Amino acid sequence: MTSEVYLDYQSAKPVDPRVIDEMTPYLRDRFGNPSTLHNVGDLATEALEESRKTIARFVNSDTDEIIFTSGATESINLGIIGYAMKNKRKGNHIVISEVEHISIHNIAKYLERQGFNVSKVPVDQYGRVSLSKLERRLTDKTILISIGIANNEIGTIQPIEEIGKLASEKGIAFHTDAVAAEGLLPLDVKRDGINLMSLSSNDIYGPRGVGVLVMRKGFRVNPVLIGGGQERGLRSGSEDMPGIVGMRAAAEIMEKELPEEVKRFKTYRDRLIKEILGTVPDSYLNGHPEQRLASNAHIRFEGIEGEALLLSFKDRGISVSTGSACTSKTLEPSHTLIATGLLHEEAHGSLQLTVGRFNKDEDIDVVLEAVPEIVTRLRDMSPVYKRKK
Amino acid sequence: MKSTQYSEKVLDHFRNPRNVGVLEGDDVASGRVGNPTCGDLMEVFIRVQDDRIVEAKFRTFGCGSAIATSSMTTEMVVGMTLDEAMQVTRDDVADELDGLPPIKMHCSNLAADALHEAIKNYRQRGIKAIQSEDGTEFDLDCLVGADEYLDNGLYRTVMDASDFEEKRTLVVHTGDESVDVALELTSVTDRVVLLTAADEIVTTDELKEELENSSVKILTESRLLEIRGEFEVEKVLIHNLDEDEDYELFVDAVVIV
Repeated sequence: MTSEVYLDYQSAKPVDPRVIDEMTPYLRDRFGNPSTLHNVGDLATEALEESRKTIARFVNSDTDEIIFTSGATESINLGIIGYAMKNKRKGNHIVISEVEHISIHNIAKYLERQGFNVSKVPVDQYGRVSLSKLERRLTDKTILISIGIANNEIGTIQPIEEIGKLASEKGIAFHTDAVAAEGLLPLDVKRDGINLMSLSSNDIYGPRGVGVLVMRKGFRVNPVLIGGGQERGLRSGSEDMPGIVGMRAAAEIMEKELPEEVKRFKTYRDRLIKEILGTVPDSYLNGHPEQRLASNAHIRFEGIEGEALLLSFKDRGISVSTGSACTSKTLEPSHTLIATGLLHEEAHGSLQLTVGRFNKDEDIDVVLEAVPEIVTRLRDMSPVYKRKK
Repeated sequence: MKSTQYSEKVLDHFRNPRNVGVLEGDDVASGRVGNPTCGDLMEVFIRVQDDRIVEAKFRTFGCGSAIATSSMTTEMVVGMTLDEAMQVTRDDVADELDGLPPIKMHCSNLAADALHEAIKNYRQRGIKAIQSEDGTEFDLDCLVGADEYLDNGLYRTVMDASDFEEKRTLVVHTGDESVDVALELTSVTDRVVLLTAADEIVTTDELKEELENSSVKILTESRLLEIRGEFEVEKVLIHNLDEDEDYELFVDAVVIV
């Protein structure tokens, strides 16, 4: 698989080898449990608190505002369900956007069954939330707004600072899913008025199975996992020390390398977008032309279907993603693409390319060579494609 | 099983599809099934001599298994009599391909249906098609939300195209004027959808050609049922007549002239 060209960093990232080196001692000699009082335990406690400090610096929060979890899904559950349950006497209304990650849509459905009302703010054709539409949906029963910093599919960046400001003016808590933005945008909960923020370790090239909920003071949540009372009772379960240390190492590398890395990704992204739109007729960019993640090129081709596209890339040893329903568990097209106003048939023909730390210039060359050939072949077979003059 | 875990035979037919293309002539008939909305649309062409299929071709918009089943169907039926070909089922096609993932059995295995359509159409050659309606009647009273959204994203006339700048706009086809409006709006927004209940936009040849070369997206066999949104137009509910299904489309403006 060494020749595989991987342009699907949004789906999964390899762990940085430097991170693995930091983790290894905690799988071997430093195996201790931070809850114990002997020397082996003390080593673990020290590593845990150091890691907390690093992550706090990474997001500009206070150290005691970091809760380690088993990943972004758990963080989001703890942040949204935990906050809703803790504050249900204040109100039962929650606002999310139409383009949240599927896990947030499913949590919203769960909360509706528990008696909460959930409103979804629509987005414009680029996938951006409109502040006036958001404001219009806030009521005196609204206790929580959850809008992600950036979309995981089309890479559109939301006006987070403005949303944070609005939430704070209205006295409503603001949770954000930072997973898609992690490692691509500098995170700052204080600047952006974020009260609760969910993070994953893998999205900054740390190991999977670790995440963080940033819980600012005054925005307490109810635990969703009950047990031995770790993480001040908010997240029980013995701490996954190799994972937590791995996330710390990943954050440390990211702090140093983010600006340089983002610059490189932008060159790749802009080349992909410009050359594909330039060489393939009737191809369009999904998402925002400027307010988009440095790693994300999301293109739609008229008259073809995404799974056929994906299979064709697979045959050439190229890993990519698509918004097509045929590759999803539910056979439904991407809710994000539909929310931008696309018809189902258009959402089917989308190609998602996301670059990352270990891509090389040659990877981009290989993809750019393949795209026009693959698209032309599939269009020649398609009864719905007709080239415009 | 992952949706993309296909048998070698499926992958072979996907990579090297047999019989891609169209057929023409008096001894040819075609069948078309599926809907691009669902992700799959197939056309099968058959050439018939002495009640026997002598040639078959296809065109398919769809996923890997949609392409493979179309290809396999056209291979299987050459040499069959029309009666024999009518007996070919989806399962037969899937079996010939050493099986399909269960989730693909329905949506992407329509080639046999397209073949049956083609045979029916062949047998009905010469019977004049019933003139279909042009789909331009639209009763505003039947539209849920019409009053509520008037001047809040619902327009009965376009006075100033700049009102539509960057707006995703749905224009209901109510005659040539609505086609003009749709074309005019493409100068201020790249998202104009023209909706008709008919299977094509019925208008002058000139406007038709202009439409084809414009960025206007045409939505056929569809009816506008309802406008939805908080205080202003945010989405519409559309009924797909072909599939008999409703779905939401996110728009910022609706024009019914």
